[in-house]
Amino acid sequence: MSGYLVTILTQIAIQAIVVCGLNVIVGYAGQISLGHAAFMGIGAYSAALLSTRAGLSFWTALPLVLAICALCGLLLGLPSLKLKHDFLAITTIGINFIVQAVFLYVPFFGGAMGISGIPRVQFLGEPVRGVHFLYLCLACLGVVTVVSWLFTRVFAGLACFALREEEAAAASMGISPVRFKLLAFMLGTMFAGLGGSLYAHYMRFVSADDFSFPLSVSFLAMLVLGGMGSLLGPLVGALILGALPELFRPLAEFRILFYALILLLMIRFQPGGILGEASLVRRRLYPLLFGGAK
Amino acid sequence: MSGALLQVKNLSIHFGGLRAVDGVDFEINRGEIFGLLGPNGAGKTVTFNLISGVYKPSGGEVWFDGRRIDGLPPHAIAALGLGRTFQIVKPFPSLTVLDNVLVARGISRYPRAACLWTSWRSGRERREAMALLERVGLADLAWRKAGLLPLGNLRRLEIARALAVGRKLLLLDESFSGLRTEEIAKLEVLVRDIRAQGVTVLLIEHNMRVAMGLSDRIVVLDHGRKLAEGPPAAIQQDESVIEAYLGRKSGDQASPGGGAAHAS
Repeated sequence: MSGYLVTILTQIAIQAIVVCGLNVIVGYAGQISLGHAAFMGIGAYSAALLSTRAGLSFWTALPLVLAICALCGLLLGLPSLKLKHDFLAITTIGINFIVQAVFLYVPFFGGAMGISGIPRVQFLGEPVRGVHFLYLCLACLGVVTVVSWLFTRVFAGLACFALREEEAAAASMGISPVRFKLLAFMLGTMFAGLGGSLYAHYMRFVSADDFSFPLSVSFLAMLVLGGMGSLLGPLVGALILGALPELFRPLAEFRILFYALILLLMIRFQPGGILGEASLVRRRLYPLLFGGAK
Repeated sequence: MSGALLQVKNLSIHFGGLRAVDGVDFEINRGEIFGLLGPNGAGKTVTFNLISGVYKPSGGEVWFDGRRIDGLPPHAIAALGLGRTFQIVKPFPSLTVLDNVLVARGISRYPRAACLWTSWRSGRERREAMALLERVGLADLAWRKAGLLPLGNLRRLEIARALAVGRKLLLLDESFSGLRTEEIAKLEVLVRDIRAQGVTVLLIEHNMRVAMGLSDRIVVLDHGRKLAEGPPAAIQQDESVIEAYLGRKSGDQASPGGGAAHAS
């Protein structure tokens, strides 16, 4: 594989991990979030600080990073308990800007200079680089996908689906909206934190601008494109929206236009996403692949 | 097995200046089918919402199975064994009918950490949920998306879900409305069957024939106040109830206001 391809695929894999987290919050639990880049940033900054200041390795820092992210997800998920729909969307945008501002203006986080000198991930005493780092990212993506799949099979996941569909009815069946919304936020933020941690050790430099609001929008676009609430939707969405700008590179200035055009066509003709309910892929391709199980 | 399962004491709620429920008292005994009647806007559904925790009362108390439950959130009240249906049906539209019931089957799991690793797709869970669907006659539609069902089937789905939750008490909010005659007959059999299995039933009903036929005792509400209480036969004869539903006889209009309840 060429270095160029490895770079693109690594970035796509990291983004897919983050979008899997967004899928838990938006797709499973139905809580809109337009601030998911902030959660990725919290993971990236935690990993950066723990490795540069505390001297921890990627592996020893990882449980801490995930714990920090779970805690932040819990705190930043609190608005979802009182707000719905567009109000929650606006609040999560606000959270994105606040988190970004904290990274930018609090000296502890390196200010405008960001944090540099983040070490590479070490495995068996060897630095993990190039295609091997891609394998690491793909392995993490695999874990995240399996955990997502397991979550959809247990009662906690079913409770989140019920809250997404009809909160009052869910509550009348013993489902605490507080507990299960926060659970979804925690899990989704931990996935984002894992993606952020990989990002920090891959770029070996983080700054506040890396986790700005437009990135949150593109995460949501990936999820919508791939199919909210579907297991593989985040992967498909990240792959397509990650690869498109590269494929359209020869078109120079027009590539953003094509990017926007594809999104608009999707929203018009396949609002459920590529792998969503009643999508073309589900109706035409799945019966061919799986013999029409459902 | 005797004694009151649900006690409502001086229950009130005010929305601004509107006294939607105003000092209502009643007790439901174990194993009873209890009817809550009244004209539109009498406060029946609000009373349901106060009992099931959707609203917090402005005053008064609700006791369920020896425990005070007013002020508890809906999910905590449900966990005590109180299931309810909604007058305006609230299915989980993109889930299948079977999965809708499986959500309700999780009632004992949700408060415990085990809900993080207990699968809802096991054969045992599915069989239990199918048994509930068979009781309400929806087994044929188990794999259909709930959002695609007509109203009559959604009312039955509501009952199936409430049955999974309500081990002790079932609140049915106008479950008979919008049903055909033969469907009503089936549902009456089901309600009696539910009671026969030891579940107490509180129902709101507009269909007088159904309410009178099913209920052991009835409370009639009007403008948020209790108008009458007693067995169906007595309620049918009650002057104030007849007046609330049909209005008073002509010639009695000189004394407006609720004071002259015993106009003749």
